Amino acid sequence: MWWNTFIEYFPDWKIWCQAIATMLIAIGVFIIHKYIFDWGKAKTINRQQKTNEKKTQQISGNYDIDLNNLRNDLAKNGDVNFREFRTGLRGSRAVLIFVEGMQDESQINKHVMRTLMDNKAWSSSDGYLIQSQGDAFTAYLKEKLLSVSKISEVTDLYKLEESILLGFTALLVDGMPHALLVGEPQPKVRSTDEPTSEALLRGPRVGFTEVLGENTALLRQHGQTAHLVLKMVKVGKEIERNLVIAYMDDIVNPELLKEVEDRIANIDIDFVAESGYIEQFIEDDWLSPFQQLQNTERPDRVINALLAGRIGILLDGTPFALIAPVTFSMLLQSPEDYYERWLPSTLLRSLRFFVAFLALMTPAMYISFISFHPGLIPTELAITIIETRQGVPFPSLIEVLILEISIEILREAGIRLPKPIGPAMGIVGGLIIGDAAVQAGIVSPILVISVAVTAISSFAIPMYSAGITLRMLRFAGMLFAAVLGMFGTILFFLFICSHLTKLKSFGVPYVTPITPYRFSDWKDVILRAPIPLMKSRPIMMKTQNKKRKS
Amino acid sequence: MFTRTDDKITTTQTSIFISSSVLGAGILTLPRSVVSAAKTPDVWLSILISGIIVILMAIVMAKLSQKFPDKTIFQYASNIAGKPLAFIISTLLLVYFIMIAGFELRVLAEVTMFFLLEGTPIWAIIIPFIWLSGYLLFGGINAIARLLQIIFPISVLVLIITYLLSLKIFDINQLRPFLGEGLLPVIHGLKSTVLIFSGFEITMFLIGHMQHPEKAIKAVVTGLGIPACIYLFTLIFVIGGLSVDAVLRSTWPTIDLLRSFEISGLFFERLEFPFLVIWTMQMFSNFTCYYYGASLGISQLIKVNIGPVILGLMPFIYLSAMIPQRSNDIFAVGDFIGWSSTVLFMIIPLPLYLIWLIRSKGLKQHV
Repeated sequence: MWWNTFIEYFPDWKIWCQAIATMLIAIGVFIIHKYIFDWGKAKTINRQQKTNEKKTQQISGNYDIDLNNLRNDLAKNGDVNFREFRTGLRGSRAVLIFVEGMQDESQINKHVMRTLMDNKAWSSSDGYLIQSQGDAFTAYLKEKLLSVSKISEVTDLYKLEESILLGFTALLVDGMPHALLVGEPQPKVRSTDEPTSEALLRGPRVGFTEVLGENTALLRQHGQTAHLVLKMVKVGKEIERNLVIAYMDDIVNPELLKEVEDRIANIDIDFVAESGYIEQFIEDDWLSPFQQLQNTERPDRVINALLAGRIGILLDGTPFALIAPVTFSMLLQSPEDYYERWLPSTLLRSLRFFVAFLALMTPAMYISFISFHPGLIPTELAITIIETRQGVPFPSLIEVLILEISIEILREAGIRLPKPIGPAMGIVGGLIIGDAAVQAGIVSPILVISVAVTAISSFAIPMYSAGITLRMLRFAGMLFAAVLGMFGTILFFLFICSHLTKLKSFGVPYVTPITPYRFSDWKDVILRAPIPLMKSRPIMMKTQNKKRKS
Repeated sequence: MFTRTDDKITTTQTSIFISSSVLGAGILTLPRSVVSAAKTPDVWLSILISGIIVILMAIVMAKLSQKFPDKTIFQYASNIAGKPLAFIISTLLLVYFIMIAGFELRVLAEVTMFFLLEGTPIWAIIIPFIWLSGYLLFGGINAIARLLQIIFPISVLVLIITYLLSLKIFDINQLRPFLGEGLLPVIHGLKSTVLIFSGFEITMFLIGHMQHPEKAIKAVVTGLGIPACIYLFTLIFVIGGLSVDAVLRSTWPTIDLLRSFEISGLFFERLEFPFLVIWTMQMFSNFTCYYYGASLGISQLIKVNIGPVILGLMPFIYLSAMIPQRSNDIFAVGDFIGWSSTVLFMIIPLPLYLIWLIRSKGLKQHV
């Protein structure tokens, strides 16, 4: 009878429980993920108009009162200097107020103080102008005497005090109604060295520095076109910092630009210490292990990105610029790929894809082969591995973890080691510990090889931060492999792929242009086509101007 | 628009979607089921014929879907046949999708347990697979299509390479005599070869997601043509390598083919390992297609968000995978699915198309 069949095939209670558990656990994970995601997401704040409640007080024009006010307000800062003197010929009292070490002293001495104090500079032919008062006197000083390029007039006392503290040099002269700011602050500059985090064999040897003005100048120097726009905005509530959004106004997609600007405008924090802050505020998915903005120290990289329709973000105080949006393949590319000829570049790129795969999967594959499927490797090799592993008392997961974690410790220590002993410690750590671990029977020699391959591979990836991501994920891969062997490893790979296909960076799917297939963009993914063939900009960026060359 | 918010996929993606939905367990089960039905080496002819039949069927579906741009079968069925009938049709289709999803999952679990993970409980294989697929489904049809596009070329490439390497033991005489027993066995074989294409019904909701629905026919033809070719090669190489008798004796003839020869000089001596890896990935995309079809259908039928539906479907898919108890039951389910594929075609797209023709052309109604 049909119900007998029905009863026979009716799943027993265990299967029902498993079915329900499948759903409940999934719902649980979903809710937790959603909760955590919303909790950490930067909330879109209602941008109130910045309350302009700043106190204002006009500079009186009376030299003594003004000087007194300034002294009262600024004297608590030990680094503010008041240099009082008398001008030549006219004989008025004058004062220069500046913060120690922030101005170009020789310029001030030569073009402000000497001119004002020297009788000869006050040419007698100017006659009545020398003794003039008020605005006429200010104009005379600005136009005839002070040979400084940056000069501005300040009428508000508090504004003046703020400017002094920011590093401007203020000049007050008896008889002049307002104060003058002469000369700009000169921040401390280091020379533009070759960037240490992105060294190249061939290519420009300049990197960004900590000074925004220098960096924008570098960009201008590299990209001499009127279309390069460097838009300045301020970020930070307590301490404001300048941030430059760089783009090519004839190439960039306006919607992308607006999205980036909106996200930057939404940054709500007191102080932005480094561009990493910006990155973490404006990224799409903060739970993803993959970076959604590219950071670089190289101006040529930024310019190339701008020409592809991307947007550069430069922050004052850090040599690291950000590029948005980023795709997975960009993390495996180096500017050198374009400088070398296309054949070696193509080979190097395919090597990097392979290397990324190795860095991610080698330990997981080792575990699944050793613990689950020794029959799948060639028999002689399997026998050797089993023989060498005989003395090892741990399951392969523990064995791999021991060595992988010690490699991570070595790497972390290597960053902090002083330069002279770094290589020595590398030898001690890598060679001696590895060899000793094998001798002591903690790990097998094959494992030492696979861990070494993994470690070297993760450093062969041109972006340091992308290397970290892969190194981090390989531990997850090891767990998958330890539980379900090769099947777990496949699941892990599919998991990474699923995550990558879901991830977006500023609306651009992370895996473009690998999928969806945009064959014209494939000329610059694994294959680096000869430059004459690269006629169009990446389609994925939906640029205004599609052609690179006619 | 820089940021895409619509759920539209390209023509290539549609093709790959259809290919992935068809290319699944069949690679392993096809040779045995076809050969046992026809018992001649000529079955590769059956697959050619059934491929053409299935493409014609799919073209009808595509034509029908093209009349209702941006709509899936679950939405336009009620336009043609009215609400109650549409509900029944959609429910049938949904049950069918859940059944296939369970079947594919079960075959995967059986093969994995047999070749890779002996002694592992079956739930430990099935449940993570469902979770992973569910995770992907939350990304929507675009994310799924992108993943399929990554997996599909790799699968095809590895399949072709493994088949080519099996030329080592390929013997053309195994495929002879050509039509030695006449055309009748070929017709017998047709029944079981049509079965392996079951699942192409996803065409009926995919066309509604196409960016350029006018290219639907092209997408469907390439989408079914590729798996038809792959199945054809599978049959030829398996029979040519193993002979009809050996195929009949084996449970998974395709894997047995790859196990029966060794390649020296490669890292893997036997090719069954890379083949199984790729096949598992292909099964993932295959399973995801049906899981997505079922979730999409339910969410459109009862008008709720797809998120809860994805989660709510998990136990049903698990149950549908666990109901068969012996491996014979699994093959019985497979046959049943193939049979219902044909029936579903007879009762869904064909009548709907006819009704649409009558109502729009005959009665001049606006449908």
